[in-house]
Amino acid sequence: MLEDIVISAREALAIGASIYLSAFLFGILSLLIRKPYPRAAIFTLLIGGFLFQTLGLNLRGAEIKGCPLGNIFEISQFIAWSLVLLYFLIGPAFKLRLLGFFTAGLAGLLAGTALLMPNWDHPYPPGIFGGNPWIELHAALAIFSYAMFAIVALVSAMFLIQQHGLKNKQFKGLYQYLPSVQQLDLMAKRLLITGVVVLSAALIFGAVFWINHPERVPVFKLTATCLVWAGYLIVVVLRIQKRLATRRHAIASIGLFIFALASLWPVQSARDTTATEVPAVQQTSE
Amino acid sequence: MSEVLQSLFVLGSTHHQAPLEVRERMALTPENAAALQQELHALDDIHECLVVNTCNRVEVYGLAGAPTVEATVRDFLCARNGVSRELLDAHSSWHTNLDVLQHAFEVSSGLDSQIVGETDILGQMKSAYADARAANCTGIVLNRLFEKSFQAAKSARTQTGITRGQVSIGNVAVDLANRIFGHLRDSRVLLLGSGDVAEKTAQSLKSRGVADITVASRTYENAHTLAHSLGGAAIELSDFAAQLKRFDIVISSTAAPGLILGRDTLAAALKQRPERPFFVIDVALPRDIDPTVNKLENVYLYNLDDLSNIANENLELRKAEIDRARTILKSHAWNLWLQLRRRTLMASS
Repeated sequence: MLEDIVISAREALAIGASIYLSAFLFGILSLLIRKPYPRAAIFTLLIGGFLFQTLGLNLRGAEIKGCPLGNIFEISQFIAWSLVLLYFLIGPAFKLRLLGFFTAGLAGLLAGTALLMPNWDHPYPPGIFGGNPWIELHAALAIFSYAMFAIVALVSAMFLIQQHGLKNKQFKGLYQYLPSVQQLDLMAKRLLITGVVVLSAALIFGAVFWINHPERVPVFKLTATCLVWAGYLIVVVLRIQKRLATRRHAIASIGLFIFALASLWPVQSARDTTATEVPAVQQTSE
Repeated sequence: MSEVLQSLFVLGSTHHQAPLEVRERMALTPENAAALQQELHALDDIHECLVVNTCNRVEVYGLAGAPTVEATVRDFLCARNGVSRELLDAHSSWHTNLDVLQHAFEVSSGLDSQIVGETDILGQMKSAYADARAANCTGIVLNRLFEKSFQAAKSARTQTGITRGQVSIGNVAVDLANRIFGHLRDSRVLLLGSGDVAEKTAQSLKSRGVADITVASRTYENAHTLAHSLGGAAIELSDFAAQLKRFDIVISSTAAPGLILGRDTLAAALKQRPERPFFVIDVALPRDIDPTVNKLENVYLYNLDDLSNIANENLELRKAEIDRARTILKSHAWNLWLQLRRRTLMASS
């Protein structure tokens, strides 16, 4: 069925990213001209963008015959896709105003940047995960946890904006539509704990593979991943102990997410180097 | 029949024409308002009648058989509220026909209110209409006029910003509390002192469902009386610092000459509940609360000036929407006027 679709994976992903950015720009425009926040329109646009991105990732998956997580381009698309999926899952439950608007912005930024960087989408040999479903599960869970951390960073940014408004007696425009600081803080805490649980599960699956094939996992990747995990774990522990709350928690969540994103590129580069060094192992493990 | 329509009128004395001391004299008791409505309706020259009686306005709407009823209506109103004709004539307005429609629409939408865009007036207009209709004092024309005025008010409110933002200190405080806590059902309020603004703010918070209200005052009896009226509890003023950690919203309005809540006291309370914010409202003059508490993490301090500034800026935003709202109401009024004209012409043919 996917073969009958005339659109290419990249085109579908580009349309998806454009729709996300349109939703974000539409939200900004409405706030600037002081129109009521267009929640329904932004939600509809997010659905449209999500459908095109799902199509694009499916087409890419069909091309490489696996989960499309082989290069930075695909990882960025997958994080953006997971982010929007998470928004659909948790948005109605938490009913946080403007979360759709910020989600559209970050998803558009991630997916759009990936499209504008041609060297991020470099080719790689098929079966990069060696046909091992546990490793595919590890990768998918790890990326999904990154999407959770992305939502935590968004919620934290919303918290900081709302707090800034309250401290400085600002109440017009964006401020009047943002959820309360307490709701945002509570949501960031819950999502952060869930994200750490998901990342831990991903690392457990990855550890089983690493024990059996230590030569297949670059040291740099292992170090960076453990650092990200340890960073989030420390924040969660401090939060549970109530030693890191509200503003500092928000800043830590945003900082850690930026670090996690920034670590993807060198991690990916290290993996590519290892993949080219041990092609035989890769093939035999299928 | 077309003459009947030409005699649609409204006699009113509102905050536009009358200062507070005159409005006090013009005000009718509910019984007097109902009696005036019945008396006017019983006259041969008046087919329909409705009296709107609120704290800021006394208005008599009617449909007269002849355009010469003004003096009669004025006399009846003077007789009911006991003021002289001179006083009423000096502090009242008289509109007829299309102007009545436009006026009623502006009143219903809150455009004619002292606080532009306030919503209480719509409820008062609906209540006055319901009472007059139940008393059989209204007919086709006033029924249509008031029902259309409610629709027109809705259009003006939804299509413009005349009701956007809060314009009273109490509601501004509630708005801010919502921005801090989301919902208020778990929020506990501590009232320090028993000042008028603080009491009204506490009442606004209570009406939005705060968990409980505690009052601390220098005089325990005063605290107890106020607490009783707010459905809360009273504590000694000297005890409040020790119990501060239990509360989320602190409203202070004591007559103390200096600060009664310092940064260290609040910081100590905050340490015991670091995840819950403090919303501190200082409406006392001189101020009760150290202004530097706003620098504490998770503490949001607002004084009387801050709240007034927000209320005034919201009011300015509303005023900026008046022209747009008036244009919408004009179009509704004109449509209704044409409908009424058509109806009366058809009835007379």
